[in-house]
Amino acid sequence: MKIEWTQANVGRRRFLKGATALGAATVLPMGWANRAFAADDGVLRVRAYGDAQNMDPAHSVGVVEEEVHASIYNKLIQYKPGNEWGWQLDAATMIEQVNPTHIKFALRDDIGFTNGFGAMTAEDVKFSMERIVDDATDSPNKPDLGPFSHVEVTGEREGTIVLNSPFAPIWSIALPYITGNIVSKAAVEAAGGRIGADPVAESGPYLRDSWSPKEKTVLKRNPDWKGDAPTWDTVEIYPIDDENTAEIAFEAGELDMTRVSLASVERYRAGVPNGGSLVEKPSLYYVWMGMNVEHPKLQNQKLRQAIQHAVDVPSILEAAYFGAAEPATGIIAPGLAGHRAESLVPPAANFEKAAQLLAESGETNVTLTLDTLNKTTFTTTAQIIQATLAQIGITVEVNVLESGAFWASGDNENLQLVLNRFSMTPDPYYATSWFTPEQIGKWNWERFNSPEFNEIHESAAAETDIAKRAEMYQRAQDLMEESGAYRFITHEATPVIHSARVIPALRPDGLSLLRYFGKAT
Amino acid sequence: MEKSRSELGQIIVGVARDPLGLMGLIIVGVIVFCAIFAYWIVPYDPIAMDIKSRMQGPSTAHLLGTDQLGRDTFSRVIAGGQVALKVALPAVFGAMAIGLTLGMIAGYGPKWLDNLLMLFFDTIRSFPTVMFALAVVALIGPSLQTVVFVVMATSIPTYGRVARTQTMTLRNSEFILAERSMGASMSRILGVHMLPNIIGVLAVLAAMDIPTVIALEAGLSFLGLGVKPPTPSWGSLLKDGYSLIRQTPWLVVGGGLPIILATLGFTFLGESLRDVVDPKLRKQR
Repeated sequence: MKIEWTQANVGRRRFLKGATALGAATVLPMGWANRAFAADDGVLRVRAYGDAQNMDPAHSVGVVEEEVHASIYNKLIQYKPGNEWGWQLDAATMIEQVNPTHIKFALRDDIGFTNGFGAMTAEDVKFSMERIVDDATDSPNKPDLGPFSHVEVTGEREGTIVLNSPFAPIWSIALPYITGNIVSKAAVEAAGGRIGADPVAESGPYLRDSWSPKEKTVLKRNPDWKGDAPTWDTVEIYPIDDENTAEIAFEAGELDMTRVSLASVERYRAGVPNGGSLVEKPSLYYVWMGMNVEHPKLQNQKLRQAIQHAVDVPSILEAAYFGAAEPATGIIAPGLAGHRAESLVPPAANFEKAAQLLAESGETNVTLTLDTLNKTTFTTTAQIIQATLAQIGITVEVNVLESGAFWASGDNENLQLVLNRFSMTPDPYYATSWFTPEQIGKWNWERFNSPEFNEIHESAAAETDIAKRAEMYQRAQDLMEESGAYRFITHEATPVIHSARVIPALRPDGLSLLRYFGKAT
Repeated sequence: MEKSRSELGQIIVGVARDPLGLMGLIIVGVIVFCAIFAYWIVPYDPIAMDIKSRMQGPSTAHLLGTDQLGRDTFSRVIAGGQVALKVALPAVFGAMAIGLTLGMIAGYGPKWLDNLLMLFFDTIRSFPTVMFALAVVALIGPSLQTVVFVVMATSIPTYGRVARTQTMTLRNSEFILAERSMGASMSRILGVHMLPNIIGVLAVLAAMDIPTVIALEAGLSFLGLGVKPPTPSWGSLLKDGYSLIRQTPWLVVGGGLPIILATLGFTFLGESLRDVVDPKLRKQR
């Protein structure tokens, strides 16, 4: 076949005309798509900061996957949306703590698993919890179950959770969070004991309809769900890592809800586009500057205390957190048992006291390194610390690290100062567990070694008297601060914007509970 | 001396006659001038914080506004130019000097030495530059010296290969054979006769490489792995600007514009230099 090539007569003007027409043709369908989206109010579009890749709760890596798991699976109890931490019944019709180590439950009789795996039974609850603590499963979430022993099945839908010792976080972490998800024993066993990227059987108000890696997860209403019907027919979850990108997508009408950057809070306080609203929730994260007490340069407690007093937290919050976050008083955020109303070292720097403590320490010509992640928030914070410590004559060299190198600092004995941020679940037990002597060389980067702290950590987990437990955690944070190894900075904040057509259901820390989202009328 | 001065003059005149070359010369001249006299030019201390004045837009007080710590962006751009050249010039000329020496030895020396040096060049070239840079930074920590070392190490093979090829072309030239027959030493042949014939090509290559190095330094600083805070750098300005693009886009302008200008300036200058040094190329174009 002979193909004859002829020269196209494309002049500059013709090219421009063609390009304009092509551009218009490209833009027009987008406009129509937006209109269609606005009219179709059965689809809720939300942003997640990561992609939910694993449908096995035993191997869930955190909130991103839990957002999907909490929609397609059930737990005995779920977190309640609102401003105060609490739980509500989900798959359980009854649950009660009969004694400090035994919790009785009864399941609803109208919950079934998809793919023909039958009704949910107490055997499924037993299987789901016990497989997480089974060493063969190698679940990273095993610590969340603490001293969980086993589940005694007493009837088709009745059972008793048995603990080896009292464990207060069972109600705040173990049951309503990742480890509380109930999977089908028959389905998991049929799949060879492991759930991968696809759920083997679902039971929640939503079913995972599709997943396009790094693009979109689509949840559709479960037609067999007998509980309160979810308001939205479809939920589309878009993994968008960058908050600026998510904000632009929201303002373009492509998203109904997203977390926004702290830098944008001031702008959204003045008004959210398209009649949307800004919700500002406190966060559970905690940010602090740590000091390695075993490093030869930082073994002097007076020097560490001088550093504590020379760090000006309000300046950090103003420049790095744009005035949208409050100072932290410790590692336990407001709203949780053990939160301290005030820290021992006030947030504002006291340079006189710092200079006095430095003089008492007898240290001169102090030069230190401050390790931090290569994120603008942290490098900004580090530079303020550098500038404020310079005021009492301490020279700080900021050492910026990429995430791989930074998170491998646990066994770095040469670490001096470090700017750090840990995530948190809604129980103080989770916070103190990283600072025990056992964690030295792992997550206790300050090498803070306090037997009293360790004793509190262990006994407070078993304490069921809330007031007494709170006092214990407050004392634990006093010990951390008195050591001079910690300068607490902030718990950050979770600002969320949502469109006018959505009534969001958020945990007190601003994370989504998708199954409870409502529609504005 | 008189002769070499007139050759340099001819090159400068040749570059200045080419409109793009003249533009390159002016841009590079301005950047070098600003870098050398940075601390006399800047209106504010580039690292002095004023948190109350953070994230301001352009004004007569702050031509490019201020960053999240209230530092004057214009002052940081000017001071950032000094950092860019502090990395680019030693790295490029260091790599050129080492590459030239090794390349000439490889091209003129025995076959086994040539093979050994080529293996060395190929080994270094096999590392992707950015990945190599990230690995080195992770091992020895970020600093100006680290960036210079990384750039120098990864650029040596380029200069070495060019020098080797040029040397091999020249080694059988009549004037070299004549020198050898008269018993001239290897160092004399390489240093006195070959070097002047190779250096021009490498100088052009160096001029074209400078923007690449500036971009690499900016890239590492953008990842937060270049120069240490609070030292200003175009890359760190871009990084902060990217995070705060919806609040203060002027940081991105401040970090991006000088990189674009430096890239254009050095590229124009390099191309024009190549034309002047090797007029054959100009005829081909």
